[in-house]
Amino acid sequence: MLATIPTAGVLGTTGQRIDVEVHVGPGLPGFSIVGLPDEACRESRDRVRAAMLSSGLPWPQKRITVNLAPSGVRKSGIGLDLPLAVGLLVAAEMLPPSAVESVGCIGELGLDGTIRPVPGVAPMVASMRADDLRMVIVARTSVTEARVGAGSTAVRATDDLRELVAILRGESSWPILPVDDVVDERVGLPDLSDVRGQPWARRGLEVAAAGGHHLLFVGPPGAGKTMLAERLPGLLGPLSNEEAIEATMIHSAAGVRLPSGGLVRYPPFRAPHHTSTAVAIIGGGTQNLRPGEISLAHRGVLFLDELGEFSPSVVDALRQPLEDLQVRVSRARSSVTMPADALVVAATNPCPCGGGRPGDCLCSEVAKARYLRRLSGPLLDRFDLRVAVSRPAIDELMAVDGGETTALVRERVDGARRIAVDRGYLSARIPVGELDEWAPLSRGAQVLVRTELEQGRLSGRGLHRIRRVARTLADLDNAGVEIEAEHLSLALRLRVDVAAVSAGRSLTTAIGALT
Amino acid sequence: MTAAAVPDEAFVAGLARLDGMTSARLRALLRGRTGRQAWQAVVEDWADETLDRLAAADPGLRARWRMATLTSDLVEAAWSDCRRLGVHVLVWGRPGYPVALLHDPSPPPVLFARGNLATLDTRRVGIVGTRNATPGGRRMARALGRELAEAGVGVISGLARGIDGAAHMGVRDVAEIGGAGPVAVVGSGPDVVFPREHCDLWEWIASDGLLLTEHPPGTTPLPAHFPQRNRVIAGLSELLVVVESRSTGGSLITVREAIKRGVDVLAVPGSLMNRASHGTNQLIADGARTVLEPSDVLIALGLDTRRTSTLPFDPRVEPAPRDRLVLAAFGADTLTIDELVTRTGNDAIASALAVGRLEAGGWLLDIGGWYAPVDHLGPWS
Repeated sequence: MLATIPTAGVLGTTGQRIDVEVHVGPGLPGFSIVGLPDEACRESRDRVRAAMLSSGLPWPQKRITVNLAPSGVRKSGIGLDLPLAVGLLVAAEMLPPSAVESVGCIGELGLDGTIRPVPGVAPMVASMRADDLRMVIVARTSVTEARVGAGSTAVRATDDLRELVAILRGESSWPILPVDDVVDERVGLPDLSDVRGQPWARRGLEVAAAGGHHLLFVGPPGAGKTMLAERLPGLLGPLSNEEAIEATMIHSAAGVRLPSGGLVRYPPFRAPHHTSTAVAIIGGGTQNLRPGEISLAHRGVLFLDELGEFSPSVVDALRQPLEDLQVRVSRARSSVTMPADALVVAATNPCPCGGGRPGDCLCSEVAKARYLRRLSGPLLDRFDLRVAVSRPAIDELMAVDGGETTALVRERVDGARRIAVDRGYLSARIPVGELDEWAPLSRGAQVLVRTELEQGRLSGRGLHRIRRVARTLADLDNAGVEIEAEHLSLALRLRVDVAAVSAGRSLTTAIGALT
Repeated sequence: MTAAAVPDEAFVAGLARLDGMTSARLRALLRGRTGRQAWQAVVEDWADETLDRLAAADPGLRARWRMATLTSDLVEAAWSDCRRLGVHVLVWGRPGYPVALLHDPSPPPVLFARGNLATLDTRRVGIVGTRNATPGGRRMARALGRELAEAGVGVISGLARGIDGAAHMGVRDVAEIGGAGPVAVVGSGPDVVFPREHCDLWEWIASDGLLLTEHPPGTTPLPAHFPQRNRVIAGLSELLVVVESRSTGGSLITVREAIKRGVDVLAVPGSLMNRASHGTNQLIADGARTVLEPSDVLIALGLDTRRTSTLPFDPRVEPAPRDRLVLAAFGADTLTIDELVTRTGNDAIASALAVGRLEAGGWLLDIGGWYAPVDHLGPWS
């Protein structure tokens, strides 16, 4: 007898429909899986056998052949246990074929017959939805995740193979699934009012949130760079429905725990450690090309603390996704495109010793040059905003009242973002060709630009970036279309020269040498 | 020659020799660095924003520079040339650099000088004009040179054919009776005489006066050098006198540079039928002061004492009162905008704008987001 059970695997951030075909026929008892299974799939046989025996179901003493269609694509993962078991039960005539008609299954089996969750259920279910399934069976803990991808398809769940067989035979009915309480994830999120002092760094955050500009904090350890960055997601509004589903799919595919409601409703915040590998940040891996941190931060914030400590290859690999807003990862067998539209906030010490203030640094020139080389120029250039952060003064730390609250700042950010929606672009994304339309320079601003260019402190590309930041500043003030000198001047102050921080010491040593 | 024996100036001279090095590029490279550090940055190909920016404008530049630094000892060659020819290397911000150029909007990062540096310690008037001068124009230039030098006023010119050369010939006329020394700013290396016919005048200025150039020994004159040279003339002059100029003449570049620096421009009128006077007549029509005889220049000098002192005076424009308070809050400390806000209690935006204005005015130095108050003799004094 033959049975076909639809299921799916994950490649990158999307599900891939797989059909598990099980044939039980005469011949020497045996079990073989074909259709390019990986090691985990092949081990499935032992798990399914043990699970069935533990559930009191006889193991058919016949020739069992399993094909994973499409047979040309390499399969990986463990979600195939459940469809395999169900298919086997149907093919061995222990379950009526009508019970599983257009029913998809995803789940791993324990040796005792428990059904366990697998990562990536949301995109998997979404990929099966197209084939008008009437229901999808998953592990109980996967239910909320599955519902994100399920659309109108029914999601059913049970924890135990024995119970599942009973239900499918019509001897029992589906357990009622509790609906998760939606907890507001914003409660408990760090608030900007916790930040004491540092009005300029806060301004940097506000501009980054309003215009979608990547932001780099430069400052000594203990200046509160991390504390500031953690407060950026709070300044971004909740995700639209579409964005939330995109983000949820990625989180599910990567096996990251989803929030209680199942949907990632607020901008995610990802802060990978600086020892992370390129694959961890960008995505990839040998088998199913898992999404990396940059994709997990899609529609949210990617925080790279100690940017200078990241391996240079990782930092360089970030450039393409930042430009294209998606990652293309290709391997010999497959290639996937994953969304990667994240706001990058990075923090770095100006030099390895973290001296910070010009003159405080103890590093040798060689060490400093090596450190700065890691912050490769092209990447540094992607940061429209570079803000020097200093340690807050004692008085500020002791102050009773903090600064403005997140809610207050978000009102301004929302206002600027509304202007951006009318325009069609966040200001960080205004194409160069349209800068003259959206950010024409006033007379005073032109004079300022000319001086900066003449001083050799601004390049042509730098100018475009400054204009975009000035546009955001003007939007925050609800100013007219023409960029005033004032906003341009502020934009210039929000983009410090990182190499020059190191030169600061050279300057002081030079002074010392001469006097 | 050991590395320790090489002064910082030698590295700057070596950098100036690199192919494709311009004044603006060198200035950018030396921003916040000593010559030695800038040289190392090029040789060791540092990851560096300034270098990246230069490379963005000219993709092959970094590689070419590196190759040049690796294949020959430019620093040593440049330095030994300078010593052999008796050329002083004046680096911006270091002792010996002309004070008048210290706060120029685009100061030469390095000047190669022959002659007596004290020649600049006088009143200074620039005399410029067309190369295709009329005999009358030449006579006027020579008379101006003579009378100004006699009155102890240093004449600055470009040593070109025509008006420039004539002015310095006038200076030479009275050299024996103790007039002020001549100052020439040229567009080639200090040892590359251009134009050839001014060979005598060139050597005389290099020994008795001061010959300045932005180019290291051995540089041939290129058309692009001359507009740059003109801005140095404008920057050094207290007054600029245009004797004859066509309506599209190179002298008008000098005039533009002078106006940018707040240097008064005077012009000698000429016949409307004379093409060589169209530019100067137009200047007069636009409001330039008229020079009918050499003493008019002296009168103009007598009225203007702003740039006269030879002592290191402060040429910066005083900040507005509210900005002065901000500057005072700095004291002698290097602060970020956040720290400044804490000190003054002003709001962040007002502080950032004030910092921007003070920085543009030369009162603060931006070191990657930290701001340091600057002494008027430059950050290295």
